[in-house]
Amino acid sequence: MAHHPRSAPVLVVEDDGLIRMDLADLIADMGLAVIEAGNADQALKVMDTLPAISALLTDIDMPGSLNGIQLAHLTASRHPACPLVIISGRYNPADGTLPEGAVFLSKPISERALKRTLVAVKLIEGDAG
Amino acid sequence: MFPANPDCGKLFDEMDWSRTPLGAREDWSVELKTLTNVMLGSLQPMLIVWGPQQVTLYNDGYAVMCGHRHPAAFGHSFRALWHDIWDAVEPIITAAYDGRGTSMDDIEFTMHRNGYPEETHFAFSYTPVRDPWGTVLGMFCACTEITAQVMARRAERTQRERFRQVFELSPGGIAMLVGPNHVFDYANEDYYAMIGVGRDIIGKTVAEAVTEVVRQGFIDILDGVYRTGESFIARDLPIQLNRGPDGEMQHRLIDLVYQAMRQEDGTINGILVQARDVTDLRAEEASRELLSHELGHRLKNQLAMVQAIASQTLRNAPDIASARQRLSERLAVLSAAHDTILEGGRGTSTVRQLVQQMTDLHDDPAAPRFVTTGPNLKIGSRPSLSLSLILHELATNAVKHGALSVPTGSVDLRWRVVMPEADRFEMIWTERGGPTVAEPRVKGSGSRLISAGLNGTSDGHVEMTFAPEGLRCLVTADLESFQREH
Repeated sequence: MAHHPRSAPVLVVEDDGLIRMDLADLIADMGLAVIEAGNADQALKVMDTLPAISALLTDIDMPGSLNGIQLAHLTASRHPACPLVIISGRYNPADGTLPEGAVFLSKPISERALKRTLVAVKLIEGDAG
Repeated sequence: MFPANPDCGKLFDEMDWSRTPLGAREDWSVELKTLTNVMLGSLQPMLIVWGPQQVTLYNDGYAVMCGHRHPAAFGHSFRALWHDIWDAVEPIITAAYDGRGTSMDDIEFTMHRNGYPEETHFAFSYTPVRDPWGTVLGMFCACTEITAQVMARRAERTQRERFRQVFELSPGGIAMLVGPNHVFDYANEDYYAMIGVGRDIIGKTVAEAVTEVVRQGFIDILDGVYRTGESFIARDLPIQLNRGPDGEMQHRLIDLVYQAMRQEDGTINGILVQARDVTDLRAEEASRELLSHELGHRLKNQLAMVQAIASQTLRNAPDIASARQRLSERLAVLSAAHDTILEGGRGTSTVRQLVQQMTDLHDDPAAPRFVTTGPNLKIGSRPSLSLSLILHELATNAVKHGALSVPTGSVDLRWRVVMPEADRFEMIWTERGGPTVAEPRVKGSGSRLISAGLNGTSDGHVEMTFAPEGLRCLVTADLESFQREH
């Protein structure tokens, strides 16, 4: 985790503006910096301009050239240590479709599940149970 | 010793033959003496027609066929006996007298031998009888009763016919194959529908009639069933059949059963085929499953949207009472937008419908405060929920702080497709005549919901301008994604 200091923002990728906004608020409330993107293409641009991100939270179904799973794989190959959280209301991806170590969360996400996940990937401190 | 033919034997003995065309018995030819002897000693029905006058002699077995004409017919002419059906009998008796025998496989009689009318069947053979010089003296006929065989055949036919009717009506294809080479003996309508209507298969082997299944291994399976007697049962089996209107190949899925058919002695003599084309059924199931997944997905996304709205409302509310009110208003707006989507039938509503819903709620028909202009544009279901919410938030803000908070204020709302490319949607909300506007120091939940933009669109923007003379809000998005149905 040393290469992903807490000061680096969490990148939230979600095409639904309301859900993205609320997710960003939740994460900010936990004391983390957040940066938003409306699709995978925007997310890649954002990553190019940043020295690092501390985690990627992405929806799966989004308009654009990549979906969330492809974006997660690309991110995993570029930043192997970056925690990945995949979010969707549609898929419950089978083993092997997500990059190794990625966490899947089903929409709608409860604040509790999000917190537990961020604790588990050591972005915030707390009880992981 | 019991005589074989007590009735006719007695008649024969008592008859004064000298008064008949045959003359006295002692003068009879050796042929006639021998035949009458055979006839009266036999339990098989027999008949002799003798001499040019066609005098008729018969035994008890044959007497039963004569019914009430017996015993009067005994010793008289054959024509007198069968006068009512002479047209049919005359050619064959004449043929016998001309030296040609005739055999008839199945003649039906109604007999009363058991005290009730009974259908019986006999096989006859009319044989000419000649003297040593070749002259035809008369005709000898031995009859065989075949009633039992005829009835058994009929029962079998009836049963077969019944099976056929069951097969015809049964849902699913049925065919019967006979022999080790699997020759089509029967196929019902559904079977033809499956392999291709109008194909000529009866009397042909499966390999000849449905050639395309050979390389798909079906003949090997049939051979195996025929050899071992073990049934073959498969579900959702992919098969290629030349069943198209012009005999072109199609891929189908079938449920298939091959079942060995056995003779009475247990040896296999055919295969019963039961097949059902389940292609459409499986496709329908798949699309139903897809639909229910899609519904689940939409529901989850909408719950996530409601969650975000609730969370944003609570997060920025001054107190719980106003939060409750604002949340229920916002959910009511979403619900109304949903109604529009459903009323649209195929999941589409129009911008005008959504604007109308907003003005119904916030305008006064007696003293209108809104001027709305724009085409009746179709809008996809995801953006329509966002647009309803944005219009609602703008109107609520205008009533509270903006142009609609004073009697002189008004709102101009116009939307259009941006020309000349016609590839963007644009909506402009402009307030006039209200109090002087200043940019708020803290963004309320309304402004935040508005800034979330149009859900489901690509390249969407929302821009709020806090001009002193009135709030202005610009909402734009790529037109194609704005109208797309997700």
